[in-house]
Amino acid sequence: MSCGRFTNAQRVRNVLADQLKAMQRVCFDLEPSETDLAALGSKERWLVYRDLVRSRLINLVGVAFARTKSVLGDEAFRRTIDDWLSTGGPETRYLRHIPRELFEFAIPRWRDQEPSWLSDLAQYEITNWDVRYAPPNRIPTGEFAFDRIPVLSPAVQVLRLSYPVHCVPIPPSGYEEEPSIVCVYRDKHHKSIPWKLNPIAASLIEAWARADKPVTETVHEVAAAHDTEIGPTFVEKLSAMIADALERGILLGGRADPQ
Amino acid sequence: MTERVNGIGLGLRYDLATELLERRPKGVSWVEVHPENYINRGGRYAEILDLAREDWPVVTHGLSTCFGALGTFDEGYLNDLRALLKDLEVPWHSEHLCIGAANAHFFHDLLPLPFTDEAVAMAAQRISEMRDALDLPIALENVSYYAPQSADGLDEVDFVVEVLERADAKLLLDVNNIYVNARNFGFQPEAYIDKIPIDRVVQIHVAGHLVRDDGLRIDTHGEPVPDDVYRLLEYALRKVGPVPVLLERDNNVPALNELLAEVDELWAIYERATGEKRAG
Repeated sequence: MSCGRFTNAQRVRNVLADQLKAMQRVCFDLEPSETDLAALGSKERWLVYRDLVRSRLINLVGVAFARTKSVLGDEAFRRTIDDWLSTGGPETRYLRHIPRELFEFAIPRWRDQEPSWLSDLAQYEITNWDVRYAPPNRIPTGEFAFDRIPVLSPAVQVLRLSYPVHCVPIPPSGYEEEPSIVCVYRDKHHKSIPWKLNPIAASLIEAWARADKPVTETVHEVAAAHDTEIGPTFVEKLSAMIADALERGILLGGRADPQ
Repeated sequence: MTERVNGIGLGLRYDLATELLERRPKGVSWVEVHPENYINRGGRYAEILDLAREDWPVVTHGLSTCFGALGTFDEGYLNDLRALLKDLEVPWHSEHLCIGAANAHFFHDLLPLPFTDEAVAMAAQRISEMRDALDLPIALENVSYYAPQSADGLDEVDFVVEVLERADAKLLLDVNNIYVNARNFGFQPEAYIDKIPIDRVVQIHVAGHLVRDDGLRIDTHGEPVPDDVYRLLEYALRKVGPVPVLLERDNNVPALNELLAEVDELWAIYERATGEKRAG
């Protein structure tokens, strides 16, 4: 194509666009190409940039997935990061969302890797990370009540695990298969806390997170789904669970209308 | 609010915030935050910001919307940013004069723009667009860079001044970055400051940096402020007058007392250079 077909402004944009692409490849490709390094002007100094960019990201995801990394080993974990970065680099402007991007890339391969509980562990770690960095609490318009829509903290996630990876430290022989349900939530000290739930309590938390029906209605639906009668024992356990969820800051209150 | 931002400020860092908020040291006159760390983020972060605002004016310094970018702004982010800045009642908002992303992928670091007329035009246009979108004065920050520029481009300071003039923008003058660039590329940092249009300077950053074994200086914000940077700060303050000065420390963050000793040193320089006295 003849250069004459471009305006000067277009040519300038194209030159800058080419430079940006070269910077992106130098920083994120598995190996930077000599062509790109030469185009940018200084091989030595652009390798400094590559190191600065990658170090920050590698350190961050190493913190977010500290236990997963220790199980995989530094080399295998690093290979996963390198492969993820080679897809072009982070798409988020928020550092706190970068571990989630790595997780979405890596989880298919971690599911196929040994030990069999590796993907549960990674899922548990990213859930803890996400919960700590979740948005501000919703503001309830009133206290929690059975005829109101429950208001749940956004910093709450229910996880169904095949292995009890929330128990630390990792046993010397690894985790034995033992399905468990854990509610991970952010406490007032900004820490993520696991709260073990039974299947009915987990379904209730999930129903309340949808914030579309009054508590009474969700209780009847969940009890029916679990083929459970709402008798005195159920009510007693439900009351204790609600009190616990309010105390932990998982349940914040109630509101009259759905959000 | 603008007139309240003066003297020496400190970055509101999560790992220091609890002690800082408990002690409320008199030497700290204002705080700076990165909006990306607070937008749509709850828990202790939101509490810290609310508590800090009770005693201190807050200034914002963005990390991700650098002015060296092609394409359109992320409207969703700009809306979130506008809402935060309005809530915080900031007098201006600053971002870096560099490249922070390419093709919708973020480097999470500050890469250098070429010091060319074309890059001036691109950056000036983005600054104008951001100012219109945020309805606030926009300050650009001069950055450290490590890769040599092409010989047929502008000098760094001429590039910065040209962007300032063409965009009618404010300047967040980073004296550590000037010093790092001066040592890495062999120019006089005072000569750089002499060329700055002083009426555009709204804020100053000061920090320490890393000197690698090969002599290359890297703007890490992870070391104490060296004496040469203190001296350059004094030179800058004597020229531009009493603009607010921020001590940046983002890595290897020491005990608060150590940072407050640096704040005291900055106050001594500030008072000597500008004649302004610290409150209390």
